[in-house]
Amino acid sequence: MGKTQGNMLEINNLHVSIQDREILSGVNLQVRAGEVHAIMGPNGSGKSTLAAVLAGRDIFTVTKGTVVYKGVDLLALPPEERARLGLFLGFQYPVEIPGLTSVNFMKAAVNEQRKYKNLPPLSSGEFLKLMRQKMAVVEMDPSFVGRGVNVGFSGGEKKRNEIFQMAMLEPTLAFLDETDSGLDVDALRVVANGVNKLKTKDNAFVVITHYQRLLDYIVPDIVHVLNKGRIIKSGSKELALEVENKGYDHIINAT
Amino acid sequence: MKEYRYMPEVKRVFQCTVPGENIRQVFLVDGVLQESPGTQNGITLSTGPEGRGLKTHITGDHSENPLQIISVRSENLPEPLEFTNTWELAPGAKAQIVVCDHTLKEHLYQTSRYSHITLREGAHLDLLFMQNEHGRSRYWLDLDARLYKDARLDSHILSLYGGTIENKVKAHLQEPGAVCNLDGLYLADGEQEIKYNIEVRHNSKECQSSQLFKGILDNSAKAWFEGLIYVAPGAQSTEAFQANHNLLLTRDAKITTMPQLEIYADDVKCSHGATIGRLDEMGLFYIRSRGVPLEQAHLLQQMAFVHDVLEHVRNHAIRVRLEKMVESRLRGEFSKCAHCTMHCC
Repeated sequence: MGKTQGNMLEINNLHVSIQDREILSGVNLQVRAGEVHAIMGPNGSGKSTLAAVLAGRDIFTVTKGTVVYKGVDLLALPPEERARLGLFLGFQYPVEIPGLTSVNFMKAAVNEQRKYKNLPPLSSGEFLKLMRQKMAVVEMDPSFVGRGVNVGFSGGEKKRNEIFQMAMLEPTLAFLDETDSGLDVDALRVVANGVNKLKTKDNAFVVITHYQRLLDYIVPDIVHVLNKGRIIKSGSKELALEVENKGYDHIINAT
Repeated sequence: MKEYRYMPEVKRVFQCTVPGENIRQVFLVDGVLQESPGTQNGITLSTGPEGRGLKTHITGDHSENPLQIISVRSENLPEPLEFTNTWELAPGAKAQIVVCDHTLKEHLYQTSRYSHITLREGAHLDLLFMQNEHGRSRYWLDLDARLYKDARLDSHILSLYGGTIENKVKAHLQEPGAVCNLDGLYLADGEQEIKYNIEVRHNSKECQSSQLFKGILDNSAKAWFEGLIYVAPGAQSTEAFQANHNLLLTRDAKITTMPQLEIYADDVKCSHGATIGRLDEMGLFYIRSRGVPLEQAHLLQQMAFVHDVLEHVRNHAIRVRLEKMVESRLRGEFSKCAHCTMHCC
């Protein structure tokens, strides 16, 4: 990657369908290192689809367009390789996996990542130390990691667990899909603090949200409004306030 | 290094170093006990008719000192073999027994093992069967257990590898307070066939039983699960549960599950449930999205599926070993235990 000033992520004219129904109809988005983006939009506008397609969910079909991430054709890679390149998706509905403890899950994930970087696997001691450190970032109860992944977690605990996993994997580009939905104010603060602690000049976040409330805690550099599969407006963080005060219809009708 | 007991003539052909403290190993080769009958620390070993089979009588508390019965088929006897083991626990006796069945060569072995278990008042038996033979062997286990007042049986059957495996288990709860927990795990691929026939008979009031059987079937493997809970007239305050869950990895794998309840008492709590499913696509995507490759994600999901069966194995050292064996089995590594000088299968 010779062009250090280039975009980390470049989405061009992305069209995506599921069962012949088009959901994304030409999305363009550029993300650079150090930036925080927010994507807002009414229900069904395609926000979650965009995040899922980038992470590699294969129920969607890309019919047109390109996605280049760190100079690589992202769409050609299976989900695990995207993750190893530093892409992370915080799920809107984190999946429960009874019988698989968070410890074993994260051990597998962290060691795969290390293998990719030609590093030896962490010893049990090193791994537990890392877990403890990262749990502290999201103020997570240590007993959670010995339980089945997300099993019996409340909505807030699940989202906290997503941020914990993000902290463990230290991605360079994280999409957080409605990580704020279903959270009370305290949980929202914890999740947002987690993101802010992990933010550096070398990584980037794309926060998908319905509400301006989250953006009080995670201040975006750029806000996009997605409607009917296209980004219809981008602007500074004031755009989120405008959405909050006047509603999506106002913006949709004005464009 | 820990020292293990071996009979010299067995040591040359077979070594099994199950980790763990205080394990006493007893070898049976083609059903013949490889040590002199006798009594040691309350455990009496003797042989059955024609010198085949093992008779065990146990007194006292041995719950922290597992007895491992290593039962191997040798090349000296390729013919079908049938023998009976009997286990009797005296009142209040406690024992942990691990039975490992292996074949030393790839003969078309056919082995029938009858096991008669008697648990007297207050006796506790923790019993584990490791069925790890080879893809052309035929294995048949017929286990019959009688539990008297306040006796408890925890049985775990792990069918890791074998051409055809049939397990028939019948537990009779004869007196109040008896508790019987039967677990099973069966992993089959290729053309392997595994049958489980489980019958728990509540012949007395105030007894409890539970069954948890899980299977993963790959390729064109087939399995059958027949499970019956019988509650006799007058067996009031019975609690009996049964669960059978199956994961099919291919379209050609087949499971037939037949849970049955026969209840002739009216104050009982009984339930049964059976499921057949596949790997969870959304779960796989979730795991992969964290950088874990597809193959490893498959394995993690399968290990997660069998987790609760293995969790019931209380002996930590043996459980850890089993987890490793199951994992290597699910990786398709033929389930060879790395601890053997000879391959077990």
